[in-house]
Amino acid sequence: MTPTKSIDGQDLREMFAAAASWLEKSSADIDALNVFPVPDGDTGTNMLLTMRSTVEESQLAADHSVSGVAKAMSKGALVGARGNSGVILSQIFNGLSQAMDGKDAITGKELADALAKASAVAYAGLSNPVEGTILTVIREASEAAQEHAATVSDDIVSVVEATVNAAKESVAKTPTLLPVLMEAGVVDAGGQGLYTILEGVLHYLKGEMEQLKLRRPWMVASSIPLTAKAPQMVGAEEVPYGYCTNFVIKGEGLDPDKLRKRLEKRGQSVIVVGDDSAVRVHIHTLDPGDVVSYVVPLGTLHQINIRNMDEQYRDFIEMQKERMPTVEVAIVAVVVGEGLANVFTSLGATFIVPGGQTMNPSTKDLLQAVEAVSSEKVIILPNNKNIVLTANQVQSLTEKTIEVVPTTTIPQGVAALLAFDYEADMETNAQNMNKAKAAVKSVEVTRAVRSTALGGLDIKKKQAIGFLNGDLVAVGDKPDAVVQDVLARVKLDEVEVITIYYGDDTTSAEAEAVGDTLDKQHPQLQVEVVQGGQPYYNYIVSVE
Amino acid sequence: MTVKIVTDSLGDIPSDVAQELGITIIPLTVHFGEEVYRDGVDLTTEQFYQKLLKSKALPSTQIASLGVFVQTYDKLAEESDEILVIANSQKMSASHEAMVEAVGKMKRPCRVEVIDSQWTVMAQGLIVIAAARAAKKGAGIDELTALTEKNISRADVRMAFETLNYLEEGGRIGKARAFLGSKLKVTPILGIREGETFPFSREHSRARAIDHLYYFATSFSHIDEMAVEHATTPKEADALAKRLKSQFPKTHIYRTMVSPVIGAHVGPRVLGVAVLGDRG
Repeated sequence: MTPTKSIDGQDLREMFAAAASWLEKSSADIDALNVFPVPDGDTGTNMLLTMRSTVEESQLAADHSVSGVAKAMSKGALVGARGNSGVILSQIFNGLSQAMDGKDAITGKELADALAKASAVAYAGLSNPVEGTILTVIREASEAAQEHAATVSDDIVSVVEATVNAAKESVAKTPTLLPVLMEAGVVDAGGQGLYTILEGVLHYLKGEMEQLKLRRPWMVASSIPLTAKAPQMVGAEEVPYGYCTNFVIKGEGLDPDKLRKRLEKRGQSVIVVGDDSAVRVHIHTLDPGDVVSYVVPLGTLHQINIRNMDEQYRDFIEMQKERMPTVEVAIVAVVVGEGLANVFTSLGATFIVPGGQTMNPSTKDLLQAVEAVSSEKVIILPNNKNIVLTANQVQSLTEKTIEVVPTTTIPQGVAALLAFDYEADMETNAQNMNKAKAAVKSVEVTRAVRSTALGGLDIKKKQAIGFLNGDLVAVGDKPDAVVQDVLARVKLDEVEVITIYYGDDTTSAEAEAVGDTLDKQHPQLQVEVVQGGQPYYNYIVSVE
Repeated sequence: MTVKIVTDSLGDIPSDVAQELGITIIPLTVHFGEEVYRDGVDLTTEQFYQKLLKSKALPSTQIASLGVFVQTYDKLAEESDEILVIANSQKMSASHEAMVEAVGKMKRPCRVEVIDSQWTVMAQGLIVIAAARAAKKGAGIDELTALTEKNISRADVRMAFETLNYLEEGGRIGKARAFLGSKLKVTPILGIREGETFPFSREHSRARAIDHLYYFATSFSHIDEMAVEHATTPKEADALAKRLKSQFPKTHIYRTMVSPVIGAHVGPRVLGVAVLGDRG
């Protein structure tokens, strides 16, 4: 079936399902579009996982109008959003849903207008929109769609075709707008992802099932050698808490909103979706029997699934709760590496969400952590620039009060955590933590995943590269030498404390040697060497 | 007739000050195995830390026996018919309980008021000193009780710790439990809230911890008197006292050492500032 005049909810569902499959084929290529040759935030994977959540939720929508399906998609995108591109993608679905609200089906013109709304919402969601990114692509693509619908044809397929062509041009142009892309010789990964999604939609609308099945998406940047790598699929998204209980209730006159409110008193991470005849329920509860007996009178139960979540994890959380003084404010931190996780918990982080540079947690992962802690006020430390936006989304999904202290490195996160004052209120704490994070310098050393020239440095694949506060400043064969090289750019005479967190591929002897050298050169420094256990990064160093 | 002022040795009042102001200090005792020492009487702080480093077993501490309290009261009752007793926080020590119980066992008739200072170290000490000064000027017991109650809300203290192990061992860790087990080398800054140890901050270097103590004091708009206390680091204490003196040239700053009993609970290298004053 190839709709041309209008699309309904079912079309919307299927075209984005096709788009998700299409995106899957190139997500690894998109992952490889890194500005820095570092094991990065995997934009392709993040967008794919966001799309999957979007599509899954659309399948659950009982309302088959475009309005109903778009609403479900918006919700799925919101909870599944990972990484900055995923968050912006979720804003795009949010805009589409707003524009489609109350409609059974939409015309080509209405689709163009919805894309324009999506663009506006995506821009509005960011305090500092950057051109040369996915934002530029959605804006230019939607402008082309509106112009086409107004001046050429209202036909859906032709509108989407114009959209896709404009998106492709826009992606190709991103390096001219964003100097770092130009320097790295890549297009923007998020833009490429959005283009691929739109192209998948177009294939579906044109009925090109063969294409979808047999071909692969076209990567806009072709001059760059793409080193495809396996996407980092993040397993276990659930934050364990008692029993993960799932079921569908079928009946008459069901009220999902009321049910959600009632269930929220009976457990955590409550998700209730559906309509008056069928409702899907997901809840983490310590007493699944209580939940089941509460819903039995409402209708018949189907697809009941109760899983006991990792008991150790629960013990761990309980232990954390016991250790904590009864504070009003809990701290959720995103950290990867056992040593670093220990550092954060030992300093009073209430809950650790595993994640970091190569593993961006979703909004839902963070939301579940927020819901799992007993405090009503929660401070989130994202500790990575690609997780800050995701963290910012959590507030819209919870009744708890959230403050995000936008830490972009581990050293910033530790400094912020140390500044936490058990006596102060959340606002004061957030202020103090922001101040503390600004006072610390971060050094990171990893291995280049490809050869490139950047920031005047010639980098060969697998060489050690060093960052100072996120800027690439040094390259060399040995990580130890690169650490020294980066630190040489800091006025160490004015520094008091240096903390070296060494990664899982660095030995303690190597790290101690780096520490000893610093000690000898700068006797006034307090140097501490700590096993961080983080992947990919040989060294993360905090300079205070 | 001057009201007699009594306290326990946990207030860390220097003995010359106590003598000058006529403060009676009932010492607690420190036990190294079978050796028993009276706090600050048979054992100085320096001697205590020397023993602590050599001792295999951790020292334990005890309050004086009930009889000592009763005897002390009775003796003072020969000279005065009013005694004000200011105790260490009852959430931290049994001193207050014994002080109250001893009143009922006195042989001489005398009015004795026992107040829980809700503090310890020189935060308690400054409250006691203020009461003793007022008593010397002729204040009656009701006036002194009111003054002391008011000063309890005007006292405050922060201490930088080298380790929290001693506090934990001695069961005085309170809410500062949250600061235990740090995987980074940090200097915890503790204080007291509602009579219990409270975790205020952690600093990443000793120098910053000392800055923290300094800024704690300078956050007061007016200070009657203050104290800089240390355990084993007199030079640090001198330097901090000097900094504070230049900020508060007219304020008397006591330079004191934590008593051996306090030392047994806080460990070496503790440095603190206690203040009696007003904020904002």
